[in-house]
Amino acid sequence: MMQFRASGGVRWPRLSLLILACCLCAYASITTGGRGDVGFWDLFARDTLAASVMWDIRLPRTVVAMCIGVNLGLAGLILQAVTRNPLASPAILGVNQGAALGLVFGLVFAPVSNALGLQTLAIVGAFTAGFITFAIAGGLGGRLDGLRLVLGGVAVGAFAYAMVRFTFTLEDDLSRQVLRWTVGSITDVRWDDVKLIVVWAGGGLIATAFIAQRLNLMALGEASSAGLGADPRMTLLMGAFVAAVLTGTSVAVAGPIAFVGLVVPHVCRMLIGPDHRRLVFVVPIIGATLMMAADGVSKWLTAPIEIPVGVVVALIGAPFFLCQALFADDIE
Amino acid sequence: MQIRRTFLTTFASLALGAAMPSWADSITHEMGVTDVPDTPERIVVLEFSYVDALASLGVAPVGIADDNNRDRIIPAYTDVIGDEWVSVGTRKTPSLEVIASLQPDLIIVDLTRHEAAYDTLSEIAPTIVLDSLGGDYFAALEQMEVIGAALGRADEAAVRVATHKAVMDDYAAQIAEVSDGVVAQFGVTNATGLWLHSPMSYNGSLLEMFGFSSTMTPGEGEVYETNYVPTTLEQLSVVDPDILILGKYADPAFTDGWVGEPLYENLKSVSNGAVHTVTAHNWSRLRGLLAAELMAQDLIAIMSQAGATN
Amino acid sequence: MTRDGLVFVALVVGVLLASIWSLSAGAVAIEWSVIANTLFDLDGPKQDYIILKSRLPRTVLALLTGASLALSGAIVQALLRNPLASPKIIGINSGAALGVCLMVLLLPSVSLAYLPIAAIAGGILAATIIYIGADLRGASPARLVLVGIAVGFLCDAGVDFILVTSSDAQFSAPLIWLTGSLWARGWTHLGLVWPWLLVCIAIALSLFYRLDLLRLGPQTASGLGENVRAARLSLMILAVLLAALSVSVVGVLGFVGLIAPHIARTVLGGGHARLLPCAMLIGMGLVVWADAIGRAIAPPIEVSAGIVTALLGAPFFVMIMITTQRKIRA
Repeated sequence: MMQFRASGGVRWPRLSLLILACCLCAYASITTGGRGDVGFWDLFARDTLAASVMWDIRLPRTVVAMCIGVNLGLAGLILQAVTRNPLASPAILGVNQGAALGLVFGLVFAPVSNALGLQTLAIVGAFTAGFITFAIAGGLGGRLDGLRLVLGGVAVGAFAYAMVRFTFTLEDDLSRQVLRWTVGSITDVRWDDVKLIVVWAGGGLIATAFIAQRLNLMALGEASSAGLGADPRMTLLMGAFVAAVLTGTSVAVAGPIAFVGLVVPHVCRMLIGPDHRRLVFVVPIIGATLMMAADGVSKWLTAPIEIPVGVVVALIGAPFFLCQALFADDIE
Repeated sequence: MQIRRTFLTTFASLALGAAMPSWADSITHEMGVTDVPDTPERIVVLEFSYVDALASLGVAPVGIADDNNRDRIIPAYTDVIGDEWVSVGTRKTPSLEVIASLQPDLIIVDLTRHEAAYDTLSEIAPTIVLDSLGGDYFAALEQMEVIGAALGRADEAAVRVATHKAVMDDYAAQIAEVSDGVVAQFGVTNATGLWLHSPMSYNGSLLEMFGFSSTMTPGEGEVYETNYVPTTLEQLSVVDPDILILGKYADPAFTDGWVGEPLYENLKSVSNGAVHTVTAHNWSRLRGLLAAELMAQDLIAIMSQAGATN
Repeated sequence: MTRDGLVFVALVVGVLLASIWSLSAGAVAIEWSVIANTLFDLDGPKQDYIILKSRLPRTVLALLTGASLALSGAIVQALLRNPLASPKIIGINSGAALGVCLMVLLLPSVSLAYLPIAAIAGGILAATIIYIGADLRGASPARLVLVGIAVGFLCDAGVDFILVTSSDAQFSAPLIWLTGSLWARGWTHLGLVWPWLLVCIAIALSLFYRLDLLRLGPQTASGLGENVRAARLSLMILAVLLAALSVSVVGVLGFVGLIAPHIARTVLGGGHARLLPCAMLIGMGLVVWADAIGRAIAPPIEVSAGIVTALLGAPFFVMIMITTQRKIRA
C-alpha cells in the first residue's frame, strides 16, 4: 500500500551517528529515576547503595528497554515483509490488545494467574488475537489482503478492548492495575527478566538475519519469490513464527507496547533503503534507541510519578503513524 | 492541625446548637439542597463510609452497595446493623432497579462515583451527595454531621462525634509518646504494584493526626494532589519511612518480590523490622468513625510491637 | 411471501419480542400483570419507577442507538467499500473518548451533565480531521482507513496518557462511560438526542440509492451522473452524526456498527434498499438484548452493554469472516 523511496546504503558516518544516538539514549535511560542523588558514575562505585540502585534497578531496566526495542522492531520488520503490508505490526494486528485481555483475565481470575502466571496468559491472549486477525485476512489460505488485515486487526483489537474496559466498572484497585499494565510497563524489572529477553532477542536477531534474503524475495511478489526458489508460504510461516516468538517474549516482560514495531522499520527504510540484509542490523539499533529514550521520558515527564513506558511510546509513535498515513505516496 | 480540629468542632456545635431544629429538613450537600423526611427509615447507602456513619448512629440501612460481597461489611458494622440489608450491586454501578425496589426514603451517594446518576437517583428518593472517596479523615467527620442531620439525629451525631474524638484523643495520647518525629507511611500493594497513600489521602491525614510525619513529597516544598501514588522500589527508598504499613490485596504481594534486594533491605523500616501488615480492606476502602477507631487500634498494636523491638 | 419479506417479518417480531423481554428483565423480578398494569395505567399493583423510569427509557434508548450505530456502520462500509469498516474507523469512538477525558481533566468544575457534548465535539472533530486529512490526497477508501486508524490511535494514546497520569477518583464516571453502558440513563438523556437521531435515521434510510451507486465504484458512479465527492461528504457527515450522537449518550459501544450491517449482508445481500432497514433492525435487537442481558445476568451487578455486545457479536463476526473468505477468493 505504501512505499518509501530507497536512499543510498549504510555509510559509516551515518552508522556512527546512530550508535552515538543509541548511547545517548542509554545514558538518558540509566540516569533518570526516583533518586536524584544517584548518577552515572555510581555504576563504578563498589558496594554502596547507589551502586545497588544502578546495578539492581536501573541497569536491568535499561537493558530490558533496549531488548524490547530490538524484539519489537524486528517483529515489525518481519511482519511487514511477509504480509507485504507496511502497516503490519503488533498493535495494528490486535496482538497488543489481545495481550492486554490476557493480562486482565489473569488479574480478574486470581487462581488462574497463580497457576499459569500473568505472563503466560498475556502471551496466550496475544497469539490468539494475532491468529484470528490472520484468519480474517485470509492468512490461512496463504493469501493476505492488505486492507482486510488492517481492518480485521482493528476489529479484533476493539473486541479485546471492550472486555478489558469492563474491569473499569468493577473495582478501583483492579481498574488502577489495568490502566497501568495494559499499556505496557517496565517498572520494576530485574535481571531475571533480562535473562529471558536477552536470549530471545539474540536468537531472534540471528534467525531474522538468516531469513533476510527470503524477506527480500517476498518484496518482489509471490510469483517471483517462488520462481527464485523461496516458497512464499514457507517464508510466511517462518516469518510469522519468529515474529510471534519475539513479540511474545516482549509481552511477557513488559506487557503490550505499541508502535515500536510499526515506526522503527519505517524509519530504517527511509534511512537505508529496503534491503533486509542491512535492515536487520539497523532496525535493532533504532528500536533500542527509541525504547531507551521513551524509558527516560517515562521516568522524567511527570516525575516523581512514573508513567508506563507504553504510553510514552504511543505518544511518540501515533503522530508518526499519522504523518505516514497522511503523506505516504502510493496507496492502492 | 489542632487549630483545624478545634475550628471544626466549634463550627459543628454552633451550627447544630443555633441553626438546626431538632428534626431534619433541608440538607445542603455537594450537589445542592435536598429536602429529606423528618426521620428517614429506609436508607440506601452506596459507599462503605456511609455504612460506617449509620452504624455509628445505630441505624441499619436497607440497601448497601457492597460490591455483591457481604464480607465487605465487616463485623464491626454487622454487630450494629445486623445482616438484613440487601446488596444493591457494585459501588461503581449499583443497580438502580434494586434500589427502587427497596422503596427507600433516603439515598446517600458519593460525589465522584455517582455524580452522573444524581438526577436518576433523585427520582427514586431524596438523595444526598457527599465527597467520601476524595475526602480525608476530617471530611469524614464533617460528613458524619451531615448524615446525622439527614437522619434527623443531629444531636446524637454530635454526641457520637464528641465521644469519638475523646476516644481518638486517648489513642492519640498513647501513640504520641512514640510518634513524635517518626515517619509512618501507609501503602496498598497488589499483584502488580505498590501505591502509597499521600498525606492528603484519608489514611495520610489520619497518620498525621496521630503525630506522625510524612516524607512523601513530589519535590522540595510541594505536595501531592493525588491520593494514591504508584511507587517503585527506587522511589520508596527516597520516601524511606521509619514505619511502613502495608495493606496486601494479593498473596504473594508485589512488594514481597523485593525481599532480599539490597535497596529494600536497607530501608529504615525493613532493617528495623518496622514493616507491618494490616487488613487492606479496612485501611483502604473503609472511612468513618468506626473505621478510624479500628485503624487507631491497629496503630497501637504496631507501636507496642515497635516499642518492644526498640 | 418472498424470502426477504419473511426475513423482515422475523426481524420485526424479533425486535418487538426483545423489547418486551427487556421490560421484564432485570435485577428485580416483576410479574407480567404488574408490567401491564404499569404500562397501561390499569388498576392493581404497579412498579412505576422500575418500568416507566428505568427499563422503558433504557429500552427506547437502546432501540434508537442500536438503529443509529447500525446505519452509521452500513454507510461507512459502503463509503469505504469494505465490510470490515465501522464507525470506529472514522474516529468517532476514540475522538469522543478523548473529548470526555479532556473535559474532565481541563474543566473539572463543569457538571458531568455536559459529558455528552464533549463526546459529540470530540467525535465530530476527529472525524473532520480524518476527512480533511484523507482528502488532501483525494479521499480514497484506503487513505480514509489509514488516516482514520492513525487518528484513532493518536486519540487512544491521549486517553491512556490522561488516565494513567490523573488521580483515579476524578475519572470514576468517565471510565464507566468508556465501557459503553446504559446504566442510570433515563428520559432526560433520551430527550437530548431523540429528535436528532430520528431525523438522521430517516435521512439515512432514504439515501439507499446513493449508497448503491457508490458501491459500484467512483468511475461508474460519476458516469451515472452522481457527484461522487459531494455524495461521499454528505454521507460521511450523516454517518458521523448518527454515531457521535449515540456514543454521546451510551458511551463507547463499539461493534454494533461493525456487526449489524455484516449480518444483514450475509442474510440479504448487498442492495441497500433492503440492507439498511435490515441492518437497522439487527442493530436495534442487538443493543436491546445486550442491555437487558447485562441487567439480568448477574443481579445486582450491572454488566455493561458494551461487553455484552462484544460477547454476543464476536463469535458471529469471526464465523462470518472465515466462511466468507472462500467466497471472496472464489
